[in-house]
Amino acid sequence: MLLMPQAVKGFAPPPVGTVVDFDASVQGLGALDAAAYRLIGTATCQIDRVADRYVCHLIPSGNPQKGAVPSPDDLKERFLNLVADENLRARVAEKTEGVRNVILALAFGSLAASQKDVV
Amino acid sequence: MARFLAPEAFVAAAETLSLLPFNLERMGTSQYLVANMVGDFIRLTERELHRLIDLRLQPGDGLYEKAYAAHLITGTNQQAQRQLLALRLRSRMSFLRQITPLHIFVVTLRCEHSCPYCQVSRQSTDRSRFDMSDETAMRALDIAFSSPAARIKIEFQGGEPLLNLPLIRTIVKAAKARSGPADKVVDFVIASNLAMLNDEVLDFCKSNDVLLSTSLDGPADLHNENRPRPGANSHELAVAGIRRAKEVLGPDRIGALMTTTEASLDRVDDIIDQYLQLGLDGIFLRPLSPFGFALKTKQFQKYDAGKWLDFYERGLRRVLDINRQGKPFREFYAALILTRMLSDRPIGYVDLRSPAGAGLGALVYNYDGSVFASDEGRMLAETGDNAFRLGHVDHDSYKSLVLSDKLIDAISSSLTQCAPECSTCVYESHCGADPVYHHATQGDALGIKPLSAFCARQKGIMGLLLDILENSPEDAAILRRWAAS
Repeated sequence: MLLMPQAVKGFAPPPVGTVVDFDASVQGLGALDAAAYRLIGTATCQIDRVADRYVCHLIPSGNPQKGAVPSPDDLKERFLNLVADENLRARVAEKTEGVRNVILALAFGSLAASQKDVV
Repeated sequence: MARFLAPEAFVAAAETLSLLPFNLERMGTSQYLVANMVGDFIRLTERELHRLIDLRLQPGDGLYEKAYAAHLITGTNQQAQRQLLALRLRSRMSFLRQITPLHIFVVTLRCEHSCPYCQVSRQSTDRSRFDMSDETAMRALDIAFSSPAARIKIEFQGGEPLLNLPLIRTIVKAAKARSGPADKVVDFVIASNLAMLNDEVLDFCKSNDVLLSTSLDGPADLHNENRPRPGANSHELAVAGIRRAKEVLGPDRIGALMTTTEASLDRVDDIIDQYLQLGLDGIFLRPLSPFGFALKTKQFQKYDAGKWLDFYERGLRRVLDINRQGKPFREFYAALILTRMLSDRPIGYVDLRSPAGAGLGALVYNYDGSVFASDEGRMLAETGDNAFRLGHVDHDSYKSLVLSDKLIDAISSSLTQCAPECSTCVYESHCGADPVYHHATQGDALGIKPLSAFCARQKGIMGLLLDILENSPEDAAILRRWAAS
């Protein structure tokens, strides 16, 4: 049997991506952005707003900086974990913004001078 | 009949709890590494972390005590923890009070070595063109003595600085004469390959308290491959120079640094053995820097952060093994990071701080009078990139240099305290901004940290140190000693 000659040698199929979507009424865009940033080098993430949902298109990076190209399921799990962690960070930041500013002011700001006699 | 009250009666009145700021990083399945505002680490399960953030904890449940001790919670009306965190933070950042303590004088660009990974473009001819003039040196000294630091270090670099020893003598003499009236302490270091070391140089160093710093990449075959020179005897000369300097100046008056090339990756034991044989008290395992000739000759691209971390871990574990056998010997980069992790001492190491050490930690006076924000900045300029050239000794003052838009932009745009990913990184308290590295590798002073080999190395080393501290008691005791001294 004769085989057809290959039209392209060494052709690599495009990496297979995945899509994850979130209810925009409960998931903030900031956490999705931060999670997408942490994914740089592993995958690209394009976030679209479609009606009441954020739709995240995840495509593995062709030349991954961080090991082997992840499978769609691995990529989805990784992204969901990153989003979950960013949600936690956002909650901590929201709850501690005031006290962080107080501590910074005590250390370096307007309250630092008045603390000299106390601390 | 009298009865004891129930245990609840002895518990202090319930107080409203508040969360204190912290950073977190997922570590495997359902476990998190958490760091408070000054970088004390604690590990929590996912369940514990959620309870902590929701403040669902109370005295006696274990998590309450753990979170309180780690400064993750406080009583809403309690001031002590906030004041304590502020005090510790202020102490950790107090290196900022000593502005520009390091002044690097590139007294010549000439060198008799031709190392393929050299970070500086070397020049072998034309003395008048590539040597710093006396006038330039004195102008640079004016700037150095205008910096606010009470103690300054003048470091002589090249090229090979000993090729311009007369100028080094002139600068040392002039700096000593100025130090009294300026009320400054001045230290001197010559960074040399030691090939030109002789009794005249050693006498000068001894009588002027000048330290020597040299390069030693390992055993002869490796060192000579990395550092070619006529006669192929770079290693022989460096080893002889180290021995002679230790003998004449004292064992602690000379230090050596190594650079990891691709050929070093399988040789960490041999490299460490070489340092031990010479009686040196430790080793600084350093990756290649992406500047100057290391970029031109593509040396920088020959291994990635993962390969370097493997090399580093094998080296660190070998150093710990040496210590377990009773011989004190350090890995200096680990000691530096451990001091950050286990104490609040202010560490202003120029490559590992935020705000970055460029300009604020060091100024570099090139042979031609150009002033750079860091040694790496002048190395970039040797390959045509003047991004970190702040000015010239003939036209600028200390103030105009450190307040230049170029420096302020680089430092303010690279602060880890507010950079994407860095600001929420669990290792942020112990890491640093490196605008010159990120400019060189990514064309941006801040850089995209998920793509940064600097970031990967820092996280890798700190993760390794934490693992040893938590899981290897004997090695942990050695690491703690490094941080304590």
